[in-house]
Amino acid sequence: MEKAKIKSTQLFVLIVLFEMGSALVVGIGTDAKQDAWITVLLGLAGGICLFLIYAKLFLYYPDVPLTSYIQKITGKFIGRILGFLYVIYFMYLSARVLRDFGELLTTTIYSSTPLLIINALMVLTIVYAVYKGFEVIARVGELYFALVYCIALLGFMLIMFSGLVHMENLRPILENGWMPILKITLGQTLNFPFGEMNVFTMLLPYLNEPKKVKRVCIGGMILSGLNITIATVINIASLGVPLFERSPFPLLSTVSKISLANFIERLDVFFMLYLMVGGFFKITLFFYAAVIGTSDLFGLKDYKKICFPMGLIILFASLSIASNYAEHIKEGIIIVPIFLHWPFQIIVPVGLLIIAFFRNRKKQLIN
Amino acid sequence: MSILSKLFKKKNKSKQNDNYRQQQDPDAPKNLPILRDYHENISRLKEELGNSTDVAFREFNLKQYKGVAVYIDGLANSNMISDFFMDALLKNQEELQSDSFQNLVDKVTSLGNLRIINNWGQVYESLLSGNTLFFVEGHTKAINVETKGWDKRAISEPTTQLSIRGPKDSFIESIRTNTALIRRRIKSPNLWLETMKIGTVTQTDVAIMYVKGIVNDKVVTEVKERLNQINIDSVLESGYIEQLIEDQTWTSFPTIFHTERPDVVSSQLLEGRVAIFVDGTPFVITAPAVFIQFFQAPDDYYSRFDISTGIRLLRILSFFIALIAPALYISITTFHQEMVPTTMAIAIAAQRENVPFPAFVEALIMEVTFEILREAGLRLPRAVGQAVSIVGALVIGQAAVQAGFVSPVMVIVVSITAIANFSTPSFAMAISARLLRFIIMALATFLGFYGIMLGVMFMTIHLCSLRSFGIPYMSPIAPFNINQQQDVLIRFPIWAFKNRPPLISKGNIKRTGKGQKPGPPSQSDRKQDSDQGDQS
Repeated sequence: MEKAKIKSTQLFVLIVLFEMGSALVVGIGTDAKQDAWITVLLGLAGGICLFLIYAKLFLYYPDVPLTSYIQKITGKFIGRILGFLYVIYFMYLSARVLRDFGELLTTTIYSSTPLLIINALMVLTIVYAVYKGFEVIARVGELYFALVYCIALLGFMLIMFSGLVHMENLRPILENGWMPILKITLGQTLNFPFGEMNVFTMLLPYLNEPKKVKRVCIGGMILSGLNITIATVINIASLGVPLFERSPFPLLSTVSKISLANFIERLDVFFMLYLMVGGFFKITLFFYAAVIGTSDLFGLKDYKKICFPMGLIILFASLSIASNYAEHIKEGIIIVPIFLHWPFQIIVPVGLLIIAFFRNRKKQLIN
Repeated sequence: MSILSKLFKKKNKSKQNDNYRQQQDPDAPKNLPILRDYHENISRLKEELGNSTDVAFREFNLKQYKGVAVYIDGLANSNMISDFFMDALLKNQEELQSDSFQNLVDKVTSLGNLRIINNWGQVYESLLSGNTLFFVEGHTKAINVETKGWDKRAISEPTTQLSIRGPKDSFIESIRTNTALIRRRIKSPNLWLETMKIGTVTQTDVAIMYVKGIVNDKVVTEVKERLNQINIDSVLESGYIEQLIEDQTWTSFPTIFHTERPDVVSSQLLEGRVAIFVDGTPFVITAPAVFIQFFQAPDDYYSRFDISTGIRLLRILSFFIALIAPALYISITTFHQEMVPTTMAIAIAAQRENVPFPAFVEALIMEVTFEILREAGLRLPRAVGQAVSIVGALVIGQAAVQAGFVSPVMVIVVSITAIANFSTPSFAMAISARLLRFIIMALATFLGFYGIMLGVMFMTIHLCSLRSFGIPYMSPIAPFNINQQQDVLIRFPIWAFKNRPPLISKGNIKRTGKGQKPGPPSQSDRKQDSDQGDQS
């Protein structure tokens, strides 16, 4: 662990940037058609419940990250294996987001630039940020939070003034009843992006006021959840259901439809600006958690030494986890939630909480 | 054998150098006493100063006393010496009755600041700072009279940091005048000054100034510690000190502020910063410094807040223009043609049709040409300056376009960049943007907007990681502090400056009293006034 402390506002900002990072870009719950926004809200509710589990675990062990207290809860041997799996999970996710990000750039603007170059430069920036430490990441977050919000507000107003929004596209609500929506919520929106809050189990010990953790984190989740909901509603309303379903990046499609006074148009670049900021924070936080987890598990004194090698691993993993974008997306929708998100986000933490509860009760009884 | 002897010789040589250094070292003769016979003192001085011709010896022979006055011509004020020293001595001849040294000390001069010197080490220290020394036959002491007085420049208008409104004086090369300029502005006993000598050969006077009670004592001790650690032969400008005590060398951003305006230094002192004066330069450095400070011009505080806010935002905008304008041009013409309206895209393309270079090369040619012109303009003798500006205007403007080297749009871009660069109040910050511009241009060439964003992001991470004497460089923006926003992007009205920046100053934090918001007189007062008005 690095010696760093961040303020609650900084944590709040990081959570908002992290949650909105790639969720706004790729568009979530698209299978639910015009009810996608309901799945987002349900996912948010579920995500908050999940976060309460993580927060409870954190309050049992407020000074150490997940990889340390997992060893205290389950014992050294099993704990280390589980901790190691978590590190790999975080690395995989950061590689995954990096791939999302690189694919978007290569499919939209840089069609003749190799994915390797785009990803490599991004990884270089991220490694630099992680090398500088968590406090610096938090400060950068504060700077870009303001930028992102200004762009988002501007974009929102432009979409409104362009007359793109047709609310009737949202009807009929609940066309097929609740069942498909619940299914999509549990399979997609609960895990991505709200369940990914479990990366903060590695980062919460840096908070300088542990008591505020629930208020800050849940506040951040609600704000980002509402933003994603609004974005989804706007996407559906301005694109219509068929296009919304088909588009790989619905928000990009919406933004490129903006046209005001025949002068303000083609604003894809601003979308890319947002994408870079969001992607940067999402990858950075996953990557940082992986780096800190590794140095914690293997007892390294200085995590900075492994930043660069691990950055290389993530770079090459991002290129090799899928042979093309369709495969990448299919993995993301079918395999990742069931085999990765559910165990790591839900099953293991619940198990840990149960064991921790009994252990700590035993301690209290002895005292 | 020959190699060995060569080695040996080399070693010998370095040893000789060491010896030489030791002789130069002012600490060496410290413990020698002053001799009883003043002639011997004279000859020793002559020998050790190498018979330097600017050392003046004035022997005198009074009733009981024989001796010599020594001073360095040019450093000591010779009028002062003749008026107050020699004259006084001759006038008081009769009163010099007793034989005691103290009597002589009392009568020797009407000037203040007398000091008795007991050993040889102090002789050079005082002689070389312009004092007059007084050796008397039969005494192992010398009298040191403060007669410093060399020619110095008059206080003039600042030449590098101009302002529309505000005081027009600026610092000069004399440290004493500079500290006095601050004393005249802050008449508080809490304004403390500490001096030290830095530079083993130059023995430059360096002074630290701060307002006790407002400054953070930790910063003061940190500054002193860093200054004490300096071990260098010479300090010729405050830039030496700045580079030796800054937190990080590997950055293009200034983490220590410098200025030649006394009003700026005063305001910094009152915010709890420490000012470092160096003798021989009109530039005073202050620390700790934060990023936004380099965009605060003195006029901001002298004109109304809404105007200042607008202008400050303009300055920040122009910093970004100076940083990325050429890069934007490159990326738009190379990657993102769809961004600009069609007619404009066609216009640019038509202009670029005859240009043989890719956009990056075109931009590079123009930027480098401009930087050369600018640098040359700085160094040129005044007489030829005009000629160069005419040639420059021709080269960079009309002729380059007509020759088909560059497109007219590029000329506009370069001009905008250059002008925007000059609107940053701090030269140190502006020059940083000048350097980074080229890196971002290169990134834009390969990756368009993505490259620009990467460059800016890298820069932001770097900026957020910097610290100046423990204070995060980007504070109070990141880490964000809602209570410190009075003087960041928006300059609040003066009455809203309730507190000093708490990260920098400690202790006395209050700045303005309660109820400072101005307004028309309250309702009841006004009623009275109007009543009176009616009566009269």
